[in-house]
Amino acid sequence: MSSPILFVIVGKNEPLFEAEIDTHTGTTGGNDLSTRQNYFVLHSALDLVEKSAWTTNSMYLRVVDKVNHQQVSTFLTAGNIKFMLLHGGKGEEVVRSFFNEVYGYYVKLSMNPFYKYDTPITSLAFENRVRAAARAYLC
Amino acid sequence: MSSKSQAAQAGQALWAKMPKANAELFALTYGSLVTELVRDYEDPIEVNAQLDRIGHSIGVRCVDEFLSKADVAGMGLTTQCQNLRDTAEVVAKMGFKMFLGIQAEVGAFSQDQRCFSIYLQDNPLSTFVELPEDDPSGGEDLRRLKYSNLYCGVIRGALEQVNLKVDCNIVRDTLKGDELNEIRVELKEVLADGAGDDYKEE
Repeated sequence: MSSPILFVIVGKNEPLFEAEIDTHTGTTGGNDLSTRQNYFVLHSALDLVEKSAWTTNSMYLRVVDKVNHQQVSTFLTAGNIKFMLLHGGKGEEVVRSFFNEVYGYYVKLSMNPFYKYDTPITSLAFENRVRAAARAYLC
Repeated sequence: MSSKSQAAQAGQALWAKMPKANAELFALTYGSLVTELVRDYEDPIEVNAQLDRIGHSIGVRCVDEFLSKADVAGMGLTTQCQNLRDTAEVVAKMGFKMFLGIQAEVGAFSQDQRCFSIYLQDNPLSTFVELPEDDPSGGEDLRRLKYSNLYCGVIRGALEQVNLKVDCNIVRDTLKGDELNEIRVELKEVLADGAGDDYKEE
């Protein structure tokens, strides 16, 4: 029940944002081992993301990888920034709505003249908004 | 007071006649200007000074446009500003309204009537802007940056053309966490009408 959800934004060369959301408590949590495993799973799914990006012209790529009982869903922004979500089988529409909301926040963030495109996101406001959206849609 | 609402109405009418620009484009242009200045000068105090100078150039030209448009429309300027209070009303209610479309308030007049504050509820220049967090590795402390310092320069430049030498400062800034933006304007001196030393008779 308390399967942690991992949300990562990946740029061209490096991850730009990471948030681990524990569905049970709605906050960060999880022990170290499973966290590391989750990161590994997400990053190894990157190749599959590239592959499936060519198969569809929509931004939402649905589930690109399945590992054990977990699924990786991806959303590609117009600038090829990847939003990836590692979850334990949430509905597609729910994940799509979550991604769209985060996309809105991401666009507003990138309009900030002080934020350089494709650099790690340090804004606390952005993080709070993403967590709130995750709590709203995914818990 | 009737002069207040007169100024507000005149401001509204002037704003209706001005050509409009896209607010996001405007904000993004100003944002890139500021970040470019930050990259060039690095020191936020120096950037504030540069923004003030840029604003000064803008203000000097704005005041002419304002006076000509207000005159042509025949509104509100049949009587000259009698004192600083009137000037403040005109700057806030008509000037800011005409060029930016925002409603600005005046207040906090000092005892000697030589200082006042202009309050801006929303600032079109700082749409989407978030000042970056302090850089712990000792980079420029952008908390000292006055993002909207352009306004100070504009007010200073505009009032200088009508012979009022003022000092302007941003004392409260929504980007730094305050609820509204406050610009403090202090009258330094009323300049004598003159064409300057170059034109003095020998």
